[in-house]
Formats: sequence, C-alpha cells, structure tokens
Amino acid sequence: MIYFDKVSKVYSPTSIALEDVSFTIAPNEFISIVGQSGAGKSTLLKLLLAEDRPTSGKVFFESNDIHAVPRKELPLIRRRMGVVFQDYRLLPQKTAYENVAFALEAGGKEDDDIKHDVPQVLELVGLMDKAWHFPHELSGGEKQRVAIARAIVSRPDVVIADEPTGNLDPLNTWDIIHLLEKVNDLKTTVILATHDKEIINSLKRRVVTLEKGKLVRDEQRGRYVL
Amino acid sequence: MVSAATVLVMSLSIFMIGSVIVGSAFLSGIISSLEEKVDVSAYFKTAAPEAQILSLKKDLEALPEVRAVKFISADEALATFRERHVGDDAILQSLEVVGANPFSPSLEIKAKDSSKYDAISKFLEKGQYSGILDADSSGAKKITYRQNQFVIDRLSSLLSTSRRIGFAVSLILAVIALMVAYSTVRLAIYNSRDEISVMQLVGASRAFIRGPFLVEGIIHGIIASFFTLALLYPAFWLIGAKTSALFGGVNVFQYFLSNIFQIFFILLVSGMLLGVLSAYIAIRRYLRV
Repeated sequence: MIYFDKVSKVYSPTSIALEDVSFTIAPNEFISIVGQSGAGKSTLLKLLLAEDRPTSGKVFFESNDIHAVPRKELPLIRRRMGVVFQDYRLLPQKTAYENVAFALEAGGKEDDDIKHDVPQVLELVGLMDKAWHFPHELSGGEKQRVAIARAIVSRPDVVIADEPTGNLDPLNTWDIIHLLEKVNDLKTTVILATHDKEIINSLKRRVVTLEKGKLVRDEQRGRYVL
Repeated sequence: MVSAATVLVMSLSIFMIGSVIVGSAFLSGIISSLEEKVDVSAYFKTAAPEAQILSLKKDLEALPEVRAVKFISADEALATFRERHVGDDAILQSLEVVGANPFSPSLEIKAKDSSKYDAISKFLEKGQYSGILDADSSGAKKITYRQNQFVIDRLSSLLSTSRRIGFAVSLILAVIALMVAYSTVRLAIYNSRDEISVMQLVGASRAFIRGPFLVEGIIHGIIASFFTLALLYPAFWLIGAKTSALFGGVNVFQYFLSNIFQIFFILLVSGMLLGVLSAYIAIRRYLRV
C-alpha cells in the first residue's frame, strides 16, 4: 500500500538524513520504524506526509507518487492518513471534542456525521467524560489519546505515529500502544516510529531499523537490536 | 480573534490614505479656486465700436483655449466702480470733476487652464482687432496678462508641481501603508503557524485554511475604517479653522463633512482590501507544506 522507492534525503553534504531507503508496507500491517535519534525516522515520516520532498527517489501511496500529486489533491490523500506526534499538536483554544471534530470539518464532512462519529471515537479512546476539556486541562496521556482520536476519526487507511510515547510515563505509554494495537485490529495500517526498546520487544511485529539514514534491518516479529 | 494591535496599525495605514485623499482633494479644490480667480482683461479704446468688440468676443469664444468671455461696457465698469467706493466721498467727487465716463470697455477672459493665457494674449495683440485695443504711452496694449504675467506663470507652475508632488506623496504613503499593514498581519499569522500546519496535516484544503484568515482580514479592515473615521473627524475639525484662515474661506473640515459618505466608503474599501490582501499574501508562505 505504501512503497518507498530508493528514497534519499540530503540536507547538505555533511547531513544526510536518508540514503537509498526502499521498503513496502502492506495493508493492515503494524510496522515499527526504530533507530536512534537522528537515524532518519522523522524524515521518513515527513516524506510520507509530503511535508518535505525527497532529494531522490519516490514515495508511493497506493498508485500515487506523493510528491507528484497536484497541490490541490494533496489534502485528499492526507485525509486518508492519520497523524500522531510526540508533542500532540492539539489546537489549544479548542476542546478535546472540537479538536477531533476539526479533522472532520476540514475534510468537509456533514454536521450530522460529525455529531455521530466524534463521540464514538472519544468513547473508543476512553475520553468521553473529558470531551469538553481544553488541552491544558488534560494530562499528557489524555492529550495523546485525543490526538489518536483525531487521527482515526476520519477512518484513515493508515495511522502514522511519530514517537507518540516520547513524552509519556510507562503506564501511559502502554495505554497508547494498546490503543494503537486496537486501531490496527480495526483494519488500519499503523506506522510507529519509536526508540523505545521495551515497546518493540513486546509488540512482536515487523520492525524496520534505520541507522545513520540507511535501512539496516527489516524483520517480521523483530526485536530491538542496535 | 480580532487583535487590537492589528486594527490599530491598519487604522494608521488607512488614516494615512484618508488624509492623503482628503488633503489632495482639498488641494485641488484650492488650486481650482485659485485658477478661477485668474483671468485676463483686455481694455479697448473708449471710441471702439461695441459691435467690433462683440465680434472679437465671438472669435475668442471659438478658441479652444478659452473657457469664458465676459463683456464689460464702460457704463458697467463705472457702475461697479461706484458700488465699490460707495461712501468714499473724495473718490466719488473726483468722478464728478472728470465729468465724462473715464472707464474703457473691456473683455474679461478666462482660459481653460492658466498656461493658455500667453497664447490668448498673443492672439489679442497680433489679431485683426489690435487696432481697437487701448494702449499706454509706450505703445504696449492694455492687456492685464502682460502686467500680471509673472504672477500667472508662477502660479501655473506652482499648481502643476503641487499636483505632481501630491500624487507622488500619496503613492508613497499608500505603499508604506500596505507594507506596514502586511508585516503586522504576517506577524499575526506567524502566531498561527502551528494551527495552520495541523490543519494541513488533517487534510484541510487550502481554501478551508485560508478562509478564516481572509475573513479576519476583512473584519480588521472594517473596524479599522470606522476607527479611522472617528480619528479623522476631530483631526480635521482642529485644522479646519486654520485652513480657512490660511486659504481664504476654504475650510477642510467643511469639505470633509460634505463628502463624509464618499470618504467613509473609500476608507472602508481600502481597509477591507488592505486587510484581505495582506492576509492573502502573508498566509501563502505557511501554505507551502
């Protein structure tokens, strides 16, 4: 479903973020991308989200070369991807409910659908009782659950999580990982970038390891080896 | 959503635009009222037959440079003189002493603009009617243009220069206003860059993201134009009396009041344009992703 074709990203001759990376992600897969800070995980995800362009190579989402799609159609592709960040990136002046609803409004959904869907996902992430709280009234784990709700509310084909547990304590970390597994069980591809050894070792899913911009290992039921 | 700082800076910009508009309209009002006062009179010999003078008047009216010609007969000139000096016995008595009417008939000629007086006076001096024109002892024809030539020339060059300077100043001020408003709006949008990037990542279209900022720009412009009108009112009121003393009856406050709806309309439109254009340009750089 997603295909990285010999992708390189060179910021400057001394700073090469990705070098000749190729791999394929199948539908409904749960894939972890691991590596130390600076290994190129975030760059890889940025290229997939079309936030940045590769220096060479192509990134395909189904049959679309993401970086060749007309700018007008890019939002349509982005609506099929849900994104979760380490720093949550919730809109501070909107409540949890509004943050989730916003993703649907941006996608041009009908009000009735929004009223129906938003409580459903908030229920799924276990935050219905805090729906009307603003982000600053929520804990880190709760904020990240709102972010996941926002990512999945438009029923995307793939959820991309960039270090989603980076700012969380162990208990909340497991909540978030279990939530992502639940999302995957609902037939959504999950791409998880992390450097958390325990998460990788307990997930027992496919692991792609990056080291200094190069893909060094790609194993089914992988372990964290560095 | 509406920030006071943006509205204030935009008000300042619109205030400049507004002052320039009223100022230049006022200036051209003064200029045309001055032009109105400039004319040229040609005096005829007392014996000149009225029919010839009237046919000269017709010829003059046919000239493209001439706006209006007025015939003043000797009797009319005398009556005007008496009226002007009513109560001044010494002068009126001296008229009695002279006995006959000492005034000559004249034509008062107004040109379309002040640079044309030279051509008109040449037409009078060289034309077939030069024989009936009164002349002084040195033989120069009695055409007031020759006497006032220096003042008229200076005035006409002053008028054209001040028009040009006024236009240049308005243009520069308008550009400054646009730049100041733009950088303020850009700052405001810079504060929303995280929000914009989140919107893009959840798949909002460019129009969807841009919309609220453009609406905000229009609202800023509307508020700023009301605010500016409220500032211009006392400002012109303050300088109104001074201008009327300086320019002899032409009061900038009166002008402002009588055109207040047109002025407000211009302020409103320029405010909304300023707001929406600044927002449109400023948000472009955050929509690159």
